[in-house]
Amino acid sequence: MDYFFAAVGLCLCMLVLLALYRVVFGPGIFNRVAAISAIGTKTLVILLIFGLLYQRIDMFIDISMVYALLNFIGCVAAAKYLESRQE
Amino acid sequence: MNGFAEMIIKTEDIIVKTIARILIPFIQLFSLYVIMHGHYSPGGGFQGGVIMGASLVLLFLTHGYEESKERMSEKAAILFSSTGVLIYSGIGLLCLLLLGNYLDYGRLSLILNVDLAHARSLGILGVEIGVGFAVMAVMFSIFLDISTGGIEPGEEKKNEKASTR
Repeated sequence: MDYFFAAVGLCLCMLVLLALYRVVFGPGIFNRVAAISAIGTKTLVILLIFGLLYQRIDMFIDISMVYALLNFIGCVAAAKYLESRQE
Repeated sequence: MNGFAEMIIKTEDIIVKTIARILIPFIQLFSLYVIMHGHYSPGGGFQGGVIMGASLVLLFLTHGYEESKERMSEKAAILFSSTGVLIYSGIGLLCLLLLGNYLDYGRLSLILNVDLAHARSLGILGVEIGVGFAVMAVMFSIFLDISTGGIEPGEEKKNEKASTR
């Protein structure tokens, strides 16, 4: 089962690289914001997989929860910034 | 007023407001959990304070400055930050007064009337609460200073009128 989780984690790392391409070269700010929040979501799952591999899922759930909260607040801040720039 | 400063002036989006209103109490509860469980799990005073500050940042982002300054004003933030440092250094100096080293929590067992290990645990908890206060207030204060440019959004127009006269 550990190999399965490690494989899933590696696949998610590849997907993070794909989204990172959108962040660096993506046309426009909206693509970048969407890609950054997608990277945040994938990082959350990767953190949980780390927790499963190290047998300490109870600790890593706390960390991933904080990560999700800060990701959400950052997303709201970016959206407000874009909104205020357009007016 | 340009760019970043307009972020916290006014908002009327009911979806964002409602979600923030539902989410903020849980964020604050979670930050208290992170502070109280600092010795068993990842976290502690600093991390809990950051989460609490993030909840205040979310409040100001979604509800605007005018509506939410009654919940947490800049004056209160300064007061909280110095209170946190006072709690931290107060516990340290209390240990010093009880003939121990600075922040030597074991000496607190003399006045708390509990055994040594329990006194250490309580001392660490008190220090982390102090750190949490200070970090929460300083995070919030930095956010407010950056987003308003050090000027209260309501007073901007008064200052402009005064300068044109």
